[in-house]
Amino acid sequence: MVLSIQDLNVKFTLRGQTLHAIRGISLDVHQGESLAIVGESGSGKSVLVKCTMGLLDANGYIDSGKILYKDADLAKNRTDKDWQSIRGREIAMVFQDPMTSLNPLKTIGKQIREAVELHQGLKGQAAYQTVLEVLSDVGIDDPQRRYKQYPHEFSGGMRQRVVIAIAVACRPKILICDEPTTALDVTIQAQILELIKKMQQKYDLTTIYITHDLGVVANVADRIAVMYAGDIVEIGTCDEVFYDPRHPYTWALLSSLPQLGVKNEPLYSIQGTPPNLFREVKGDAFAPRNPKALKIDFVRRPPYFSVSPTHKARTWLLDPRAPKVAPPEHIRTLREKGGLGNG
Amino acid sequence: MAKYIIKRVLRSLLTMFIIITILFCLLRMMPIEGYFENYDKMTETQIQAKLNVLGLNDPLPKQLWNFYKQLLQGDLGTSNVYRVGVSINEIVAEKMPVSLRMGLMSLCISLCLGLPLGILMARSTRSRFQIGDRLGTVFIVIVQALPSAVYHILIQFLGSQSSVGKAIGFKMLFEEGEPITYVLPLISLSIGSIAYYAMWLRRYMVDEANKDYIRLARAKGVPSAKISRSHVFRNAFVPLVQYIPNSILLTLMGSLYVESLYSIPGMGGLLVTAIKRQDNTLVQALVLIYAVLSILGLLLGDILMAIVDPRISFSKKEGSR
Repeated sequence: MVLSIQDLNVKFTLRGQTLHAIRGISLDVHQGESLAIVGESGSGKSVLVKCTMGLLDANGYIDSGKILYKDADLAKNRTDKDWQSIRGREIAMVFQDPMTSLNPLKTIGKQIREAVELHQGLKGQAAYQTVLEVLSDVGIDDPQRRYKQYPHEFSGGMRQRVVIAIAVACRPKILICDEPTTALDVTIQAQILELIKKMQQKYDLTTIYITHDLGVVANVADRIAVMYAGDIVEIGTCDEVFYDPRHPYTWALLSSLPQLGVKNEPLYSIQGTPPNLFREVKGDAFAPRNPKALKIDFVRRPPYFSVSPTHKARTWLLDPRAPKVAPPEHIRTLREKGGLGNG
Repeated sequence: MAKYIIKRVLRSLLTMFIIITILFCLLRMMPIEGYFENYDKMTETQIQAKLNVLGLNDPLPKQLWNFYKQLLQGDLGTSNVYRVGVSINEIVAEKMPVSLRMGLMSLCISLCLGLPLGILMARSTRSRFQIGDRLGTVFIVIVQALPSAVYHILIQFLGSQSSVGKAIGFKMLFEEGEPITYVLPLISLSIGSIAYYAMWLRRYMVDEANKDYIRLARAKGVPSAKISRSHVFRNAFVPLVQYIPNSILLTLMGSLYVESLYSIPGMGGLLVTAIKRQDNTLVQALVLIYAVLSILGLLLGDILMAIVDPRISFSKKEGSR
């Protein structure tokens, strides 16, 4: 285990009101794995990872909980100075939009070099050589020429490669990819995911993906955490979550994926909107949008129920006393495909 | 790059040519009194004789041709009213250095105080109570909102009449060779541009600080002091760079109000005096200098901008100007 988040609560103050963005999340990240955090916009997935690097916006703060990394509690860090030893050096991040992630007035080479000098302690020719190496590592041809070029001379996909190069050049232990492919063409997306995988193996990284694209998840993740309204509602291995989902929100999410070869059927969409996190959420946050919600879902927040040692979900449906609610048709066929039978 | 510069230079020359020609033609439409010291006392023949000497009875194209010939030799003509028979080059050479010296000093002060103030304000927007930003904003709003005449007079009056000012030795008027008398006019000259630089730098820095690449720089562990310096400040300064050559060049012309307030013998009051006294050749020469300096300032600003900002392309389509 490299990173352990324990009962984390994050709040934001906005015009005098308090928004409870992360509501008591616990999450362990294992060495060398790739974990995907999925959820819709506003579910708090970006906020969660930003906490691990101290990159929360100025009005956000960690209310309670721990972020344990190498015997230190990162939740106690306050100033930029405290974070200096973590950012880049231990945890690096790839952002969503490569078009705006690079400084337009500095050459690509300089921007990678900044990371190399900062974290590998190299200078002069050695730093230059390392930058060239990293550039060819991320699949940029003719690195000597590219070193001197500015971001506007690169395409979107190429820029994302540069952003990945910057992250890798810090030699971090954990690489966080915040929607790394959202802003890219579909054809480029696959290449970038492939590249991140390659970097993960080469540099022995633990990767955390944040995405709302389940297609991306299926390609890269060992484990999946499904987030809803600032909470992880289900977590398990990729197969477990895709083929044997237990939480009604996960069912709904998977049902709303378009299927290849299914024609003339309207695409499922989840009714309603996510809860307002300015108010206190009672019971299961998803209950108001869940047509099959139980009474208790509106009253008490469900605990985690284990399905297998690696798979758990926060839903009363898994309580032995709960009535049997069958997952939607579509999910049942998934189970059969996964060879898991009618568990 | 060279191609871009040549293009811009040629275009500037064309603009100058058009402005100078229009200026020349406009001044020919002025009453001819403006070429005589004592027009009222002269007979018609005397007047005609002088007009012939000055070449003002020639057809307009010929006059224009002669004017350009003179101009290209660096001769701005002769003053006929303000200081009769004295070459304008001489008048300008006498007054320009005074304005230039004051102007450059005040520009240095404005940059040295305005830029740090802007940086301070921008950094303070991230702090809890934003005290620096609030105080700076109060200063900027006061300077921008008050008519400059009001604070110029306030500075002059309080500076030279208050007991503190008197103790230091500030004086109401400028005296050549007495550095202490430079202080008040310099404050007057600088205060507006301090507010100007601080306001724009703060604004651009706040913009930059919220950009994604600043987040990336933080995420890769660059210390925050270095981020401010080498990412935020540098990028925010680029839009300001464009105006610096212009500010430097226009110091040559002095400040009309401040110079007359402290009776500094600079360029500032010259144009107004020339217009009042209807000294046509002097007006023509001074407007010409203004125009040329402004165009030159814009040209240098654009070139400087192209050097600092790699995104400005030289080969493809050019911008709107």
